[in-house]
Amino acid sequence: MKGALAVCLRDIQKFLGQPVLMVSTIVGPFLTLILLGSAFGGAITHAPIAIVQESFGPYSSNFIENLRNLQTCQFGGIDCQNSFQVTDVADLETAQQMLHAGLVKAIVYIPLGFDDALAANSKVIITIILDNTDPLSAAAIGPEISQAGQQLSSLVQTTPADSSSMTFDLEYAYRNVLYIEFMAPGTFVQAIMFVSIIAGGVQLVVDKERGIIEGYLVTPLKKYEIVLGVLLSGVFKALFSAVTVFTLSILIAGVRPMSVFPIPNVGEIVLTMITLFLTALGLIAMMTAYAVRSTSADLYRVTCFPINLILYYTSGAIYPLNGMPVWMQKVSVINPETYAVSALRLLMYKSAGIQAVIGDFTFLAVFTGLMLTLAIVAFRRAI
Amino acid sequence: MQTFDITKKFGDFTAVDHLNLKIKHEVFGLLGPNGAGKTTLQRMLVTVMIPTEGTATVAGADIVREADKVRERIGVVTQASTLDIELTAMQNMNLYGMYYGIPRAERQEKIKELLKVVGLADRANIRVAGYSGGMKRRLEIVRALVSSPQILFLDEPTTGLDPQARAAVLEYVERIHKDHGITLVITTHYLDEAENLCDRLAIVDHGKIVAEGSPTELKRKISGGDIIEADFLSLPSTALVALQKAEFVLNVKKRDGGLTILVKNGAEAVPKIVSLVDANGGKLRTIALRELTLDDVFLEVTGRSLRE
Repeated sequence: MKGALAVCLRDIQKFLGQPVLMVSTIVGPFLTLILLGSAFGGAITHAPIAIVQESFGPYSSNFIENLRNLQTCQFGGIDCQNSFQVTDVADLETAQQMLHAGLVKAIVYIPLGFDDALAANSKVIITIILDNTDPLSAAAIGPEISQAGQQLSSLVQTTPADSSSMTFDLEYAYRNVLYIEFMAPGTFVQAIMFVSIIAGGVQLVVDKERGIIEGYLVTPLKKYEIVLGVLLSGVFKALFSAVTVFTLSILIAGVRPMSVFPIPNVGEIVLTMITLFLTALGLIAMMTAYAVRSTSADLYRVTCFPINLILYYTSGAIYPLNGMPVWMQKVSVINPETYAVSALRLLMYKSAGIQAVIGDFTFLAVFTGLMLTLAIVAFRRAI
Repeated sequence: MQTFDITKKFGDFTAVDHLNLKIKHEVFGLLGPNGAGKTTLQRMLVTVMIPTEGTATVAGADIVREADKVRERIGVVTQASTLDIELTAMQNMNLYGMYYGIPRAERQEKIKELLKVVGLADRANIRVAGYSGGMKRRLEIVRALVSSPQILFLDEPTTGLDPQARAAVLEYVERIHKDHGITLVITTHYLDEAENLCDRLAIVDHGKIVAEGSPTELKRKISGGDIIEADFLSLPSTALVALQKAEFVLNVKKRDGGLTILVKNGAEAVPKIVSLVDANGGKLRTIALRELTLDDVFLEVTGRSLRE
């Protein structure tokens, strides 16, 4: 056991002696968080839209006023800005040309007789034409225009409405979680994966090439002590990077986990750490098993790149799993990162407690056990 | 240390072939051309490779059944450096001591003492990356001594070092043997090194020992004579034949521009060779008498020069 601690100490001392390596395992995932998190999922502001108004009256002008004043913060934007930049266009044909030329993202068409029909409390239709070659903008703009319309319909309902009309009462169960927060857990897992690849696995392959592992074997160190030491130091390094990215995400990226804000919840933080620990042990063991089986460091590095990509993108870290094609969903089912991300989200944004994450924990524990066995077997065989 | 018919086969290839060797408390050199089996032999002796057949006792323990005991009692310095250059000399030594489970206080004291021995005490807390090649080697050698081994295996300890660094390393190696009373097993390419350093030598070729003994014994065993190097301006074939047939000549070998002649008695042979060549119409450029070196021995028993 003491031998394992010595092997572990060696790796940690080496890690601390290579600040560049240390920092690079943090910078990568953190940049992903900042860049991807800020570039995607932000509320679309000042989207240019054209309004073709053929009916003039209190209702239509109220509706247009609503559109002009709609603020992004009503949809989870970080700061309040106008959602739309409205242009009045004389006729539908001109508006369509503008849409075609990319000058506007959508056309709102208020047909002749709109105000009269509303006054008479009969059915009205506002046509919205969306530029769906930009799917993300279209997906955001459509509902926002409807939102302005809903404000209008509440106005309409002050007049006696027909009894058959149905209304929905939409409630949000939690505060709005920003996209950057949504994807943050994935970047903690990325930090662990980066360490597993560059500080854990490659170092082992290099040690093997340099004869360090054979150097271990002429000392009284037992093989299991060597594996244990390598795994222990890997987990330490991975947790170091993941916790650093976690802290930076709060300090710089504006991530606000419920487990920390407004009052830190020790139970949830401990569960978060357990998730990170299980993930780290599982991924380190996986990459260790792979590394000792690799014949050269170059081959190992080249193959790690796609492995990391597949695990990251099928984990649901950056987009909901339900939005993925079936084959990706199938991969995600056996992807340990899926369960890590899921557990982290539950704990961070819902403070959901142990009973909510027990399923994720079970998968991670089984996966980790399997990978540990694999790592030990591979290590014994290769050395 | 003793081997008993130790053998290692890789498929059809026999790297070490029923080799028997006994090493006492001494400095022992293993010589041999590349691929002769000396590295395989050493890897078996330090327990990282299991023999196909036979066994050996190292420091009183069996290398197969009691590998753990062997590991506790030996030190190994491999040819390729296994130092962690990101760490300091102190850290490198300290970790090594931990592998052997040496208690902290004892470890610290031992390390200080050893670093002093090889003149690295004042650089103990500098990262090894900043060391010269010779310093690294010295550190690596004393690192293997942290565990106070009974036998120290050194694989090509001076390869890649400049002459000055080489001399320093050899000086420390010699001191280690004298002061610490450790048996040294050295594999080397450098014959002068082997000749000066080793009490006894074994020349290994094709997985077997082809010659064994002290450097002086080895040389005597081969010849009992002297070497004459002769260069010629002209050498008719009649002169060459006459030399080969002369009763005082033991062996004649051709080399670039001349002959290497092994004779019974050098002082008597020189004037005889001069007159013999003269009588057969040849012309000498130079003729010199020199002592037998280990390279001659090596050439004789393996048919190859180690320098090639």
